[in-house]
Amino acid sequence: MISFVGMSKFYPTKQGRSYVYKDVNMELPTDKSIGVLGPNGAGKSTLIRMMGGADMPSKGKIITDKNVSWPLGLQGGLQGVMTGRENVRFVARIHGYRKTHIIEQQVEEFAEIGRYFDEPVKTYSNGMRARVAFGLSMAFDFEFDLLLIDELNAVGDANFKLKSTALLKKKMDRTKVIMVNHSVGQLKTFCEAGLLVKDKSLIYFENLDDAVREYNDTYVTAKN
Amino acid sequence: MARTSLQVMRDTVFALMMRELKTRFGARKLGYFWALAEPAAQALILSTIFTLVGRNTLTGVPVAIFMLSGILPYKFFSKLLPQLTASVHANRSLFAYRQVAPIDPLITRLFIEFATHIVVYVLIMSAMAWIGYDVWPEDLLSLLLATLLLTLIGTGLGLMLCSAMSHWEDTPKVLQMVMTPMFFVSGIFFCATMVPQQYWYLLTWNPIFHVTELSRDAYFASYTTPVGSWAFLMATALVTNALGLMLYQVNRQRFISA
Repeated sequence: MISFVGMSKFYPTKQGRSYVYKDVNMELPTDKSIGVLGPNGAGKSTLIRMMGGADMPSKGKIITDKNVSWPLGLQGGLQGVMTGRENVRFVARIHGYRKTHIIEQQVEEFAEIGRYFDEPVKTYSNGMRARVAFGLSMAFDFEFDLLLIDELNAVGDANFKLKSTALLKKKMDRTKVIMVNHSVGQLKTFCEAGLLVKDKSLIYFENLDDAVREYNDTYVTAKN
Repeated sequence: MARTSLQVMRDTVFALMMRELKTRFGARKLGYFWALAEPAAQALILSTIFTLVGRNTLTGVPVAIFMLSGILPYKFFSKLLPQLTASVHANRSLFAYRQVAPIDPLITRLFIEFATHIVVYVLIMSAMAWIGYDVWPEDLLSLLLATLLLTLIGTGLGLMLCSAMSHWEDTPKVLQMVMTPMFFVSGIFFCATMVPQQYWYLLTWNPIFHVTELSRDAYFASYTTPVGSWAFLMATALVTNALGLMLYQVNRQRFISA
């Protein structure tokens, strides 16, 4: 369960406060994997970032007793100046691991990026970044209850997509995901429930199909 | 394996420290060497100058030791401030991990600079003892207290400068402009008794001057400072830290999202 208590998020703009979320109060069940739906700029990534603690609500709180991952995506997560290995080491350490060798090895094996693993992340392609970021989140021997994924597997090649899907599916009975993806097909592979960003607020649907229908009714106006 | 907030902070500071040490000292092979060589060379130059103008002792203390007792704390302080100022900004992309709070990189750099200072101090003074100087401080505890207060003032100022930095990225340039003349008014190559009493007011506003004065008072049996004030230092430490933490609290969101 993730509780939103009077949560607002706004950005100061030249024309005053631009609200992304306004006074959201809800209890989000976390017994099912959730696909987040909404048009560009509606605040899907912001939501994921706030749930992962990478950003803070402007007002109110987001509370949970679950073990939530950091937001996995292309934007944040990996540090450009550090190498892949150093990133892995750092993340393992802040999660309380002192012996990082096993984790390093696991990620290296999963990522399959060869000697680039010891090169700075800023030299990576998007796909290579995704491999390391994803491998890293999967490598912990304690499991996250909730994995926050923001458009991560959109960039991989076929091999990576198959591999990450298989790995994620294997973990699904313990770990649920909250996922942002513009491909409804991808969402349906992993998620049963849906969360729609609408009117600066959130609506939860037990069934992803209902969420997709509502999304289409609300946002997809260019019908043929 | 739920960790307490304090354990999370400890793990994070440890992770940041490993990272920082690697980039700081690992990148250049002579990293550790310069930490030692820079203050040592400065002390050498200053004491050579003063010896050449015909002085072997200042207030009954060998020139070299006198200079070192002023240069080392000043070097530490003038290194600490820019390091702390940039700490939050330099690590901002790591705040994507909620374990990393903006104050963690500041604490990390504080640890590193403080530890480096102590090591440099002990090593240089040991070298001086080896050459034949009497380097054992008269009142070690007071000397440590002066060092601690200097560190605390640096922390408070560092917190304020971090906030300034989040609003204005040119802060380090201004800091550098201020710190350059500070060298001349912090009592590094002179002490209060060498200055006519009517000019003391030009120096006593400066907490670093008090640190230098009180350090020498503690270090040398033959020197008693006429102006150094513990109360002033403690008040400065209190005020800077209160202001610094206040500004940190106000700007917390900016640190993370900027």
